[in-house]
Amino acid sequence: LAVPALLPVALALAAAPLTAAVGAVRPRAAAPVAVGAASVAFVACLATWWAGSAPVDLPWAPSWGLRLRFHFDGLATLYAVLTTAVAVAVTVYATAYVPRHLHHQERPREEAVRFHALILLFMGAMLGLVTAGDGLLLFLFWDLTAVTSYFLIAFDRERAEARSAALMALLVTGVTSILFLAGVVLLDLGTGSFAIDTWLGAGTTPAAAALIAVAAVAKSAQVPLHFWLPRAMAAPTPVSAYLHSAAMVAAGVFVLTRLHPLIAAAPALSTALAVIGAVSMTVGGLLAFVADGLKAVLAYSTIAHYGYVTLLLALGGEHAIVAASFYVLAHGVAKSALFLAAGAVTEATGASTLARVGGLGARMPVLAAATGVAAAALAGLPLTIGYFKDELLFRVALQHGNLATAVAVAGAALTLAYTTRFWTSIFLGPAVGSARPVERRLTGPVVALAAVALAGGLYPDPLARLAAAAAARAPESVELEYHLLRTETALAVVVWIVGAAMVIVPSPLRAVAGAFRQAGARAGPERLYRMALHALNRFSRRLRRIEQRDLRSRVTPVLAPLAVLVGLALVATGGWRRIDAGRIATTDIPLAIAVSIAAAAAIATARRRRHLGIAVTLSTVGFSLAAAYAFSGAPDVALVAVLIETLLTLLFVGMLALFPLSVLRRQVRREPPRGRFWRDVAMSLLAGALALAVALRTLSGPTPRDPIAAAYLRLAPEAHGRDTVTVILADFRGLDTLGEITVLAIAFAGVLTLLRRQAP
Amino acid sequence: MTGLLTRMVARLLLPASLVTALAILVKGYGDTGDGFAAGAVAAAGIVVQYVAFGGATVERLLPVRAAHVGVVTGLLVALAVGFGPVAAGLPLLAHRPPPEAHVVRLGTLELHTATLFDLGVFLLVIGFTVGAVRALAHAGERS
Repeated sequence: LAVPALLPVALALAAAPLTAAVGAVRPRAAAPVAVGAASVAFVACLATWWAGSAPVDLPWAPSWGLRLRFHFDGLATLYAVLTTAVAVAVTVYATAYVPRHLHHQERPREEAVRFHALILLFMGAMLGLVTAGDGLLLFLFWDLTAVTSYFLIAFDRERAEARSAALMALLVTGVTSILFLAGVVLLDLGTGSFAIDTWLGAGTTPAAAALIAVAAVAKSAQVPLHFWLPRAMAAPTPVSAYLHSAAMVAAGVFVLTRLHPLIAAAPALSTALAVIGAVSMTVGGLLAFVADGLKAVLAYSTIAHYGYVTLLLALGGEHAIVAASFYVLAHGVAKSALFLAAGAVTEATGASTLARVGGLGARMPVLAAATGVAAAALAGLPLTIGYFKDELLFRVALQHGNLATAVAVAGAALTLAYTTRFWTSIFLGPAVGSARPVERRLTGPVVALAAVALAGGLYPDPLARLAAAAAARAPESVELEYHLLRTETALAVVVWIVGAAMVIVPSPLRAVAGAFRQAGARAGPERLYRMALHALNRFSRRLRRIEQRDLRSRVTPVLAPLAVLVGLALVATGGWRRIDAGRIATTDIPLAIAVSIAAAAAIATARRRRHLGIAVTLSTVGFSLAAAYAFSGAPDVALVAVLIETLLTLLFVGMLALFPLSVLRRQVRREPPRGRFWRDVAMSLLAGALALAVALRTLSGPTPRDPIAAAYLRLAPEAHGRDTVTVILADFRGLDTLGEITVLAIAFAGVLTLLRRQAP
Repeated sequence: MTGLLTRMVARLLLPASLVTALAILVKGYGDTGDGFAAGAVAAAGIVVQYVAFGGATVERLLPVRAAHVGVVTGLLVALAVGFGPVAAGLPLLAHRPPPEAHVVRLGTLELHTATLFDLGVFLLVIGFTVGAVRALAHAGERS
């Protein structure tokens, strides 16, 4: 019995719309529905893991080679189980947290519906991402996670901090996702297929692998593209918990794992990733050690821990995939529990920094114990799942020499130091402030996740099998047991000693980390990002000021360079010598008259001062040109020209009616600046000469032997049409029409948005 | 307020423009004019009403409030005709019935997906023009 791989994905993707639909009718029901939908997705993933699954390959747009390929292999199973399991914990937590959160900010309760739907969309996107077997699908879900995270981080849209954090996350992960797409397209060009399996079998394209790796580094918040993650904790706590443990950030290392053969085959890229991973471990660990916010400590720690995973994947070798996958699993469980615990602490005490909490252990013993287990798991203490993640890390590092081992030990010691600091500052010491009891639904998920962390430490077999299956290319079994006499065990003991030393004598490390933080604030990548954003804004504002002055300033920068460039091209290619003005036949006389009237009306328009007069004379230009089209045997164009001219004139007159009469009179009386007149004359002569030269040059070229017009005329009857222009618009060049009307619809939205905004 | 003559002519123009638009729409795929022209004719008829009678009266008498529905429906219809064939493995905008197949006619109206495409364009153009004019009129009343 094999479950189709599409089933869990479809269930997960259906969860968000279902919750939104139920919430639209009955807002209070959204939260329980969200929990139910997440649980169903989780059970579906477990069932698929247990029963095995058949890959799905459905045609999507076959004429473009697009297919819906999903496969639920070992790697996908691990991430899917983690994603949905944490989703269940987070949605349960959110049922209590979100109403409190909205209450604190005095926002209507109904906004909770949006929250639950978005969290589930996040889950669906992540599940789609991990099961996608097609590069384009992978990209699609990759971007969906970025867009969803944008809305979730900016959930408190009244707060400027949340909005700028969301924008930062979207810009950093969204701009790099373009590189991801470029990599995907390169791989398709190289192998002729979007199927990931084909890519993995076809050797590597280093450029494509590098592009994808950059996007993954940004997504997994690795140095130097890490700065968005600590800001993203402006999001409500359940979002942070999910984003840091199983969604979004995990997507980066997931893609590195999925495409690992491509990266392993490019040695320079592997080295670069190893350096990035090692630097991220150090930077994240140091900053976590001196951070003061409850969530800030955890956010920096996430950077460090995905640094481990990046390092593991970059080192490669026998156990790398298994170790990296197991690491993500263990970290996801521990980190989500810690974030949820931090949120519960803040809800109980109202404090969100380590300095303002303390001694909570006696007052919240259950939460203290559960958080302690989760912190121990993150720090890699025995009897928790975390011990094995570190053991696997050391095992891989030992295969790659002393430097890798030293980095791993240092990173693990730092982790032990800051998790100890985190837990002891909150729960030990003298009591600080008051603490109100919180709902079971805020502590329950923490306890459940801590139980998983503990069970994984006592009986690691199922999770070890899950991780072993993740390395589908070379299935291997990995045994996880407690041994006394092993190098890995010895390294763990070293970590404990060094970590304990850091906790007991924190000042030297504090000084180093503090100096580092200062330097980062002054010249770090976040500063660069802000400077770049600022400069772009300033440039755009300056451009807008020039452009907005009046219509002439808007047209001049377009026409002047165009005229000069076209003139240069005509001279340089000698094209002006081939211009043939031709002769005017007697049959052309009506046409000549129509065009002359248009020209005369154009000159008259420029001389009018009263607004209504300008509108009417201007319409004469259009109607004369419409007559010219009619004389040239183009009834379709003439019809459209007449209609457009009518509408435009009506609009002009209508717009004039909206202005107060005094404003119009003042405008009429005002003399234009002296110099401007000659500038305008020069510009219009230049533009006219440009149009004339281009038209003459085009029309005096040799007539092609089989012009496309002939083909259109021949084919129009075959397409069931007798009027060629109509057939061109709806059939031959229908895609152009489609594009244009899409632009029209977008312009409509723009018009409405601009006009509905109240003037201050 | 506009003059009596303007209002009388405007009133006469409304049915005339709507009937003309309908005629252009159903006149068949083979003759001059298309969805864009039909949409522009009908929209011009309605815009004249705005100029002659003012926004409040038009809002009361004509269903102009549904303009955005026209834009969205028109775009969706056109996109469906355009991309529908892709889902069936055909090229973009592959119209049905295909070349040389028989086309059912109801009078001059041909039952052909190109006509449907034109209908989408018509809806979008009329929706766009009327909606934009309506928004302008509202903005004018506010200021």
